Amino acid sequence: MAAPPPDPQFVLRGTSAAVHTLHFSCGGQEPDVPVLFSGSENGLIHVWNLKTHRVDKALDGHGRKSVCWVETMDGKDRLLSQGRDQKICLWDLAEGRASVTDSVFTENVGFCRCSLLKVAEGRWLMAMAAKALDEVQVLELPSKTSVCTLKPEAGAKLGMPMCLKLWQINCGSQPLLLAGYENGSVVLWNLSMGKVLSQLFCHQEPVMSLDFDSEKAKGISGSSERVLSIWSLNEQQNLQVHTTHRLVNSGISDITIRPDKKILATAGWDHRIRVFGWKKMKPLAVLDYHTATVHCVSFSDHKNPSERLLAAGSKDHRISIWSIYTQT
Amino acid sequence: MAVFDTPREAFGALRPACVRLTQAQTAENVALLRARLAAVGAAALQELQEYVLYPLRLALASPGPRRERLAQSAARGLAAVLGATRLRGPELLRELLAELCACLGTPPAPGPAPGPGPASEELKLAVVEALHALIHSADGDVILSLYRPPALHLLGFAVSLLLGLAERERARQVKISALKCLQALVLRCECCQHRQLREDEEQQCGDSFASFLPGVALALSRVITADIKQGHATTVAALRVFYQVVGLVMADEQLARIPENKEKPSGEQSEVSKLVVHRGPDWSKNTAEKLSLLLHKIVERSSVHSHWKVRLELVELVHHLVRNCRQSLVDSFTHLLKAVVGLVNDENSEVQSRCNEVLQHIAEQQLVAHNRALADVLSENLHSLATALPRLMNSQDDTGKFATLSLLLGYLKLLGPKVNIVLNSASHLHRLSKALMQVLELDVTDVKIVEDRRWGSGSGYEGSLQHGVQKGGCQKKYFRFFAEEKVFQLLQQVCRVLGYYGNLYLLVDHFLGLYSESAVYRKQAAMVLNELIAGAAGVGVDVLQEREVPLDRDDIKGAITSVLDEYTDQANWYLVTSIDAEEASHELSVNHSGLAALPGAACGSVLPPPDPRVTTRTMNSNIWQICIQLEGVGCFATVLGKEFRLLLLSALYPVLEKAGDKTLLISETAMGTLVDICEACSYDSVQCLINENSDYLVNGISLNLRHVAHRPHASQVLDTMLRHSDASLLPLVEDVIQDVLSTLDQSYNHQASTFLGVLHSLMAALVKWFGPSRSEEPQRRQAAERQSGTLGQVQAAITGQEVEQFFLDYVRQKQVAEGNLSDSGDEEADEVPPVAKLEPSNSDTEGETPLPSHAQLAKDVMGRCIHLLSDRSLRVRLKVLDVLELCVTVLHPHRNHLLPMAHRVWPALVTRLISDDPLAVLRAFKVLCTLAQKCGDFLRQRFSKDVLPKLTSSLLSQAPASARAGPVYSHTLAFKLQLAVLQGLGSLCEKLDMGESDLNKVADACLIYLSAKQPMKLQEAAQSVFLHLMHVDPDSTWLLLNEVCCPQLYEPPHASLQPVKLRGMGRPRNEFTDNVLLLLEKLQQQESRVLQAGTQEASPA
Repeated sequence: MAAPPPDPQFVLRGTSAAVHTLHFSCGGQEPDVPVLFSGSENGLIHVWNLKTHRVDKALDGHGRKSVCWVETMDGKDRLLSQGRDQKICLWDLAEGRASVTDSVFTENVGFCRCSLLKVAEGRWLMAMAAKALDEVQVLELPSKTSVCTLKPEAGAKLGMPMCLKLWQINCGSQPLLLAGYENGSVVLWNLSMGKVLSQLFCHQEPVMSLDFDSEKAKGISGSSERVLSIWSLNEQQNLQVHTTHRLVNSGISDITIRPDKKILATAGWDHRIRVFGWKKMKPLAVLDYHTATVHCVSFSDHKNPSERLLAAGSKDHRISIWSIYTQT
Repeated sequence: MAVFDTPREAFGALRPACVRLTQAQTAENVALLRARLAAVGAAALQELQEYVLYPLRLALASPGPRRERLAQSAARGLAAVLGATRLRGPELLRELLAELCACLGTPPAPGPAPGPGPASEELKLAVVEALHALIHSADGDVILSLYRPPALHLLGFAVSLLLGLAERERARQVKISALKCLQALVLRCECCQHRQLREDEEQQCGDSFASFLPGVALALSRVITADIKQGHATTVAALRVFYQVVGLVMADEQLARIPENKEKPSGEQSEVSKLVVHRGPDWSKNTAEKLSLLLHKIVERSSVHSHWKVRLELVELVHHLVRNCRQSLVDSFTHLLKAVVGLVNDENSEVQSRCNEVLQHIAEQQLVAHNRALADVLSENLHSLATALPRLMNSQDDTGKFATLSLLLGYLKLLGPKVNIVLNSASHLHRLSKALMQVLELDVTDVKIVEDRRWGSGSGYEGSLQHGVQKGGCQKKYFRFFAEEKVFQLLQQVCRVLGYYGNLYLLVDHFLGLYSESAVYRKQAAMVLNELIAGAAGVGVDVLQEREVPLDRDDIKGAITSVLDEYTDQANWYLVTSIDAEEASHELSVNHSGLAALPGAACGSVLPPPDPRVTTRTMNSNIWQICIQLEGVGCFATVLGKEFRLLLLSALYPVLEKAGDKTLLISETAMGTLVDICEACSYDSVQCLINENSDYLVNGISLNLRHVAHRPHASQVLDTMLRHSDASLLPLVEDVIQDVLSTLDQSYNHQASTFLGVLHSLMAALVKWFGPSRSEEPQRRQAAERQSGTLGQVQAAITGQEVEQFFLDYVRQKQVAEGNLSDSGDEEADEVPPVAKLEPSNSDTEGETPLPSHAQLAKDVMGRCIHLLSDRSLRVRLKVLDVLELCVTVLHPHRNHLLPMAHRVWPALVTRLISDDPLAVLRAFKVLCTLAQKCGDFLRQRFSKDVLPKLTSSLLSQAPASARAGPVYSHTLAFKLQLAVLQGLGSLCEKLDMGESDLNKVADACLIYLSAKQPMKLQEAAQSVFLHLMHVDPDSTWLLLNEVCCPQLYEPPHASLQPVKLRGMGRPRNEFTDNVLLLLEKLQQQESRVLQAGTQEASPA
């Protein structure tokens, strides 16, 4: 008899709305419990205690509008959240507080999730879709000063940005931005010049999600099609398609490469989470638990590899937690 | 009372007597002197001491043939004088001693020890008492002269004489006096008038007694171990003297001061000094060895002595020796400690408490901790005891076992923190653990444990709730090697003390090793682990000293986590505890046997095991293992208190799983564990515990549902949750119930039966939480309406006014119908439409408003039931029918949803009613009754078309059979079916408001059951049908009954009217007569009651 299909280690219930984004914060020292932030459709951000598997706190700051992105800035005490109310909030969660200390009004009506990059101690860059439909704006945090606005050339017909990824080759080097657009292309932007470095047309449908591995200079993107596209960046800063990977069912809502760059996970519209080896795109596992579209996948950043987890949030209001490190 | 206080007066008084005695030594004269002595004051006597003593001594030593009475009297006189005075001259002391001793035996001579002469007992007693008085009266310095080497032979003579008396004399009094005297001679007299001896004096005393030690010790040990007929007082005294002497001679303090080499004897004393023993290291070593043998003998005899005072004295002995001779007698400690440890649980409380004091003292002094040798002795003892334990447990009776285990416990307690020395030695730990494993072996032969089942969910419902209140105590276990509870308690203490002092990690690791090593040890190891952890946390441990390092909470948490993981591991948690009766009887009931009709037999009888490998014994053992593990979980919760809440994530689900187990013992134990957890984690109730942790449980259930084929327990957990909680749980578990339903959808074939159990308990819970209060009300209202309806009818028929009104109304209605509207009619007509409008809109909104969740669930479940109604297995079908009935009850208030569902259910239900196993028909009929009650006339048409013909025809066809049948018939299924149909049919007709033709059918079919030939119960049931029919249509029923039998003649009031002719008139009495008459009478009553009510109601108006 074949081994039974893998089970989630735990399922977090109680968001009572579809879960759109997840973010782990497990880096703290011992007395600190690892936590998972989840943003859901009803505008609440839940702080899950991963020891008790219960909600420690529920943050309500987006006027009951869907939360589509959460990210911490240095530990779990400062949290950025982006909501469909066109606001990005900075939360202060230290010492049991739960207040919004700062916020940015994006004026963007799209779904595009922001991207955050720490460029120096106490200095972050955040890319976000701007007011004009096809523009991307990069802000410096915490000062909120605009670094640049990336506006495609007239006639490029990229459509709205769908997903963003800020990255830099190594610490201190020039930060770059990868953006997936509505017309199915992935574009590499130079932030300082505000110019397109390279453009790759790799999907027929809007790019739903992308992730990039700066070490291997290789990225992956998914759209509503049945295809995952893997592309690489050569020394001339040109994007070119590396391979494509065909899927059984169409629709990828999120792709995340694990921080150790060994595997990646995709969140599928077919209710399934797929895990691949990053090197050769070898399919490793299909995690089948959810009963509705999976919206997001996230890997934990726990120091102890055996306690690292994969979390997936779905439209069925549940967050499944998987332990895939120990098994591989 | 002293008359003569001054020496002069005293002299005057005594002199004549003394003179007479000196002249003639007769007993009479001595008596005279003694009488005079009594009247002389102590101070005066002191002055005259020697003067008085002289004639007495003379009398004592009077030559010639021994005159016993004289000697005895003289000795008494001496004793009296000495008792009142102090002896100041060493010479005198020695002389008196010699003279007294001479009375009893020959003077000291080289050679064998002198035995007491053939003197009478009285004389011996008098002399011994005189000796005692003599030693007592001697002042410190004076008595000390006895212990100088020159006096050694005299002392020796006295000692040997006294020993001889103690050993060989018959009279108890003499023996005891001799021993007392000896004790005084060692300067350990009990009276407190003596001054404290200086160290060097002690030393001197010890030196001289060292010479006699062998003799003294041997003789005394013989006395101690002698026949118990000598009386306990002798033994006690001998014991006391023994430890005084040994304690004196072997005292560590004294031995420490002895120089390495014997000093040269000086001068003229050298001859005598040779006799003095030099207590050097060699000597003390030799002596200790010999003493050890004696002590062993003494301890062995005295510790089981029947008189408690002897045992108490033994404890004193140990105490004294342990205090004074810790180093010199270390080899004997094995026996000594064994004695005192063994006596801790003595039956006499005084011995017990003294023992405890002594042990406490030993522990407090940290004798063991600071004395490696002692710890070694103890650990050696422990080792040998552990080795012998299994054998002893096998051979001894319960008291013996108790003693043995007390010993074990005592060693552990004494070792205290040093127990780790023992544990660190692999062989010791091995021995000890194996011994525990063997001793704790459970008796697993009881078949009842396996047979006791928690019966089906329906009946167990209320019971289990009451149950939740009861405290989670331990289940009584039955052990192979002992029966008494106190033996088990001792073992518990042993484990707890181990846990308290021992290295927890080492112990837990070791016993977990044993746990996984072999199934034979598993239960015992689990038991030990539970107690170890309780002990480590200091729960219920009785110890002598605090441990050195206080407990680290993290350590114990770590230990508990690992043990818990091991316990709830699949291999250790899911054990075969029963041959799945459900699955097995499955096949049986498909084959259908008539026997299964008996209630109870249908719900899972224990069949002979189809798999010979799973014996009752293994199942029993498995059950116990699970129980012990459950108890462990409860114990861990108690230990951790609120901190256990963190572990609930992993622990609660398995416990709840077991609470839903079918085996009674397991589910009871699990309930106990739940209560323990509640208390430990400070939840108010089990319900609270479940509700607040429902997220953990729901998670477990939903994950396990994914593998329902391998882990069918998930449904049990849900079942338990529902059982022990209330309506507030529903929103929490709704999610997972949907999961259950969707899983059921995927596996109708295989797991239906398991799921039905859950659905049944779910619906039962819903009925309990939401059911009766809501559903009863409308029912009552309906009934009231019906009642008033009939009332109205009757009234209309009776009063003339009403008739008139009726016709007036009729005429007006007719006019309205024809279009002739009056003004007033207009208004009325206006009033009507809004009502008519309101009604449909009302019902519309009701249809649109979302159903409350419980009703929605009931609807969903009902939907599933429809599919399952035609399952192949009868068992499943029966269960489905039960669930269906509950669904209907829950859904009842929501008519708009119930009716469509009823519509969908109908075809399947009809099939059950018409062409199924009788058992199913019976159950289906019950469902039908409930459904009819809830749905009312909605079912009328279908019922009369689909079911009624079949029912009536079966009633008709069965009637001849039941009429013929004997008494056994009432146990058959056919009878039950007839009965159920007859009982239900009446109310069905009433509820469904059946039409006339149908009623006639029913009446026809039931009429034959009114026959007196039918079984009584069927007759009664048939009567009930007619009673219901009377409600619906009294007139036609009356007619029908009268057709059968008419007791009265009805004369027409006027000749022009035709005479009433009923077919039943004038018939001879037949089988129906009785019942029909009865019914007619009831009808009469009913009508007259209605009539009365009607007139009463009408009269005030």
